[in-house]
Amino acid sequence: MNPLSLYIHIPFCKQKCNYCDFASYAGKENLIEEYINTVINEIKHLRPTALSTVYIGGGTPSLIAPKYYEKIFKLLSIAPGAELSLEANPGTINQSYLKELKNIGVNRLSLGAQSFNDKHLEILGRIHNAKDIFKSFDDAQAAGFENINLDLIFALPNQTHNDWKEDLKQALSLKPQHLSIYNLQVEEGTKFYNIGDKLPRPTEDEEVAMFEYAIDTLKTAGFHHYEISNFAQPGFECKHNVVYWENGNYLGVGASASSHINGNRFDNPKTIEEYIKLTQLQNKVDLLGHKNQPDQKETIFMGLRLLDGLSKEKFKGYEKEVKELIDDGLLEQKDKIKLTHRGLLLANEVFKLFI
Amino acid sequence: MTQNSINNIRNFSIIAHIDHGKSTLADRLLEVTGTIEKRNMQAQVLDTMDLERERGITIKSQAIKMNYAAQDGNNYELNLIDTPGHVDFTYEVSRSLAACEGALLLVDASQGIEAQTLANAYLAMAHNLTIIPIINKIDLPGAEPEMVTEELETTLGIKKEEIIFTSAKEGRGMGEVLEAIVKRIPPPKGNADDKLQALIFDSRFDAYRGVIVYVRVFNGTIKPEMNIEFMGTRKKFEVQEVGSLKIDLVPSDKLTAGEVGYIIAGVKDVKDARVGDTVADANNRAEYPLPGYKPAKPMVFCGFYPVQGEDFKVLKDAIEKLQLNDAALFYEPETSAALGFGFRCGFLGLLHLEIVQERLEREFNLDLIATAPNVIYKVNMKNGKKIYVDNPTKMPSPADYDSIEEPCMKVTIFTPAEYVGNIMEICQNKRGTFLNMEYLDPKRVMLAYELPLAEVIIEFHDLLKSATRGYASMDYEIIGYQVSDLVKLDILINSEPVDALSCIIHREKAHYIGRALAKKLKKTIPRHMFQVPIQASIGSKVVAREDISAMKKNVLQKCYGGDVSRKKKLLQKQKAGKKRMKRVGRVDVPQEAFLAVLQIEK
Ligand SMILES: Nc1nc2c(ncn2[C@@H]2O[C@H](COP(=O)(O)OP(=O)(O)O)[C@@H](O)[C@H]2O)c(=O)[nH]1
Ligand code: SF4
Repeated sequence: MNPLSLYIHIPFCKQKCNYCDFASYAGKENLIEEYINTVINEIKHLRPTALSTVYIGGGTPSLIAPKYYEKIFKLLSIAPGAELSLEANPGTINQSYLKELKNIGVNRLSLGAQSFNDKHLEILGRIHNAKDIFKSFDDAQAAGFENINLDLIFALPNQTHNDWKEDLKQALSLKPQHLSIYNLQVEEGTKFYNIGDKLPRPTEDEEVAMFEYAIDTLKTAGFHHYEISNFAQPGFECKHNVVYWENGNYLGVGASASSHINGNRFDNPKTIEEYIKLTQLQNKVDLLGHKNQPDQKETIFMGLRLLDGLSKEKFKGYEKEVKELIDDGLLEQKDKIKLTHRGLLLANEVFKLFI
Repeated sequence: MTQNSINNIRNFSIIAHIDHGKSTLADRLLEVTGTIEKRNMQAQVLDTMDLERERGITIKSQAIKMNYAAQDGNNYELNLIDTPGHVDFTYEVSRSLAACEGALLLVDASQGIEAQTLANAYLAMAHNLTIIPIINKIDLPGAEPEMVTEELETTLGIKKEEIIFTSAKEGRGMGEVLEAIVKRIPPPKGNADDKLQALIFDSRFDAYRGVIVYVRVFNGTIKPEMNIEFMGTRKKFEVQEVGSLKIDLVPSDKLTAGEVGYIIAGVKDVKDARVGDTVADANNRAEYPLPGYKPAKPMVFCGFYPVQGEDFKVLKDAIEKLQLNDAALFYEPETSAALGFGFRCGFLGLLHLEIVQERLEREFNLDLIATAPNVIYKVNMKNGKKIYVDNPTKMPSPADYDSIEEPCMKVTIFTPAEYVGNIMEICQNKRGTFLNMEYLDPKRVMLAYELPLAEVIIEFHDLLKSATRGYASMDYEIIGYQVSDLVKLDILINSEPVDALSCIIHREKAHYIGRALAKKLKKTIPRHMFQVPIQASIGSKVVAREDISAMKKNVLQKCYGGDVSRKKKLLQKQKAGKKRMKRVGRVDVPQEAFLAVLQIEK
């Protein structure tokens, strides 16, 4: 039996952030009960076993009472030593809540910090301020969490290079085990998108400088830059996410969750209302039951995100493209084939050749 | 009464400006004569090509036969031969007129007569056609029939009493129109027993039946099984079928003098049955062909290249197919260092070019690069020779010639008086020479300018439209070549000259256009992973430079399990966008870039 990973999506948020295009909805708390019941139903049908990782993401999973998670975990057969992550937003948690999570087995916490600058947090439409982040982090440590991630976003409207340096400094002062660093992307359908060109964003040169500054600083601080946007203290790389990048097997439950089993992909309906009808469950079970090979294109473009790279065999049939990219200085080949620093910044140009 | 007597035939066409109601009027006539039942009628039967309908213009001539029981108690056969309404197609107008004895001159009561309509009316008069003036849309609140009547009087010397007032939309005045056709237009002359002479006024390739030849018989009779000869091409064929042109082809046993109809004779190639040629009896040839008309001369040229080199064959077949039904389309293979294999094509005008391009892309599913249109230059070489250059890349080096001449037009513009100032300014900027100005009525003016054709084909029409809020109309005719101080502007992308972007322009404008073109290209060409310099040069002198800075970052930040499908699609889209571009050296150049010179604001 292959090791399996499970993703559980919690699409509830207190308020929609201005940059957010995830499957998350504000003001639908009345559907929580029914939603969780559907999730439980879905899990009962899919009967995942030997789970090596579980990831509860959102949305804001920390809006849900621990008793629901307890109910869910009871259904799961979790392998010993498994990684159990949960995303939490500062301003929605306290020490006792976190303790309960810890008690039912959650052992990795991902905090959506985004920025330590109150002005920027407000522009992003976050519900918390910098103080809430410190408090949540302390609470998490007090509750016994020893594997904590912080999400940060750079290239925010009006953000200067110094603002960003300060954000990183604050983040490092907490000594998290893991950091995810994202360049702000303005996606269609978000409030930022609607503002359009009037949104005062840093120039491309400034964005590159911020990203490079983060890479250098975090390396110096002992972090392992293991994926385009992810940094970890050695040994704290997120096992669950690595499964995605290695194009491995995972089941997704909940609205909008994606599954990838034996080369088959299945996406759940995006909205809460559609999801709780759970009409496609049998389709999903049938589809995921097929035996298929994972898509080579996906294996390459997801796999190259891991900075250690991919073994040469995975590029079979793409020798010409690999050579071209090596000549252009975007890929390099040692024991594995991987992105160069320049290739990292231009990763899409690399991936395109394999699509 | 004999149905087939030549005296009961009337052949006519309709001359009208776009939107003045030609199709509506034609539909009404078809309806009233019962040629087509009202409920079966898809609006506007005469324009059959989709593209035409979208653009509201008729490109190909077509004909249709109606039977009409007139007030005099006789039955008549009325043949309506359609004429294209746009200035680019003057040639096709003249060929439809040559097959007629009369023309309906249709003018919108709220718009007045337009320049092209007037030009076509003169053309009809030159062919000795009887003109029936009609003022249409009298139901409109803004109709000014008296004013339009005055215009027709001053411009064409038409008498008030001759004018028929109609509302094609409401069907008013249709009886009067039909009666006028019968009473005023003379029957065709000719003799069914003479030697066969039939004028080919159109032909169309049909995949199943071969070439369908549209003719107007002037003398003699044509029947199935007869051997015919096309006098110009000297090709002989056996007639398989003849008939008249209703909504469909309706076979009949013969076509006789005065009639309009079609011939199917196993002709495989449209070139064998040239429009304007005369059909004769192969066993009893007429002494002379009918006076044909001047073959269409392409005036505007551009290169067409497939974005994907391997599509060259598809493009070749496509152009050949189009040419089957478009005698005026000229093409020959050409090679560009930047774009590879393609065709240099010649057109009657810019609209013709656009239509051909659109049809190639739409009907044959081709991704095309069209280079900026240009005219044909006459170069007076130092060695005394004169050469014609239809492609800027072929322009000889300045050291080898004494002078360049360019084609010039006389452009006639009809406009409400208040826009005269605006128009004069445009013409000045377009290197125009003022010829004269005349009042058509107290509110409308006719302006005449001499302008280089090269200036007219590039956005002149759009400028005119916006400067006059669409109220002006224009017509043009070629008046000959004139020496002009022209230079060749070259473009280098990433230090490589791109022949397909070269253009011939007036020296005084060269620096300005060079700068504007480089700027425009900078905006059009996407960034690459390296810096891309764009230079404009005249001879070896660089007159403008712009740099497209290198792309430094293109990376998706967040990419987890749920993102795979979406991000893959995004990358596919980016990649597809790139595929539609032409790779010139190491640079991907989008299709629009090759037309950038057209979009320079002057
Ligand atoms: N009010 C009014 N509208 C008309 C009349 N004749 C045509 N139209 C309208 O004018 C527009 C152009 O007519 P159409 O026959 O397509 O013009 P064409 O471009 O000359 O063939 C259409 O919207 C017609 O409905 C008319 O007598 N009165
Ligand atoms: S908290 Fe996260 S999921 Fe919720 S709205 Fe904000 S960005 Fe979106």
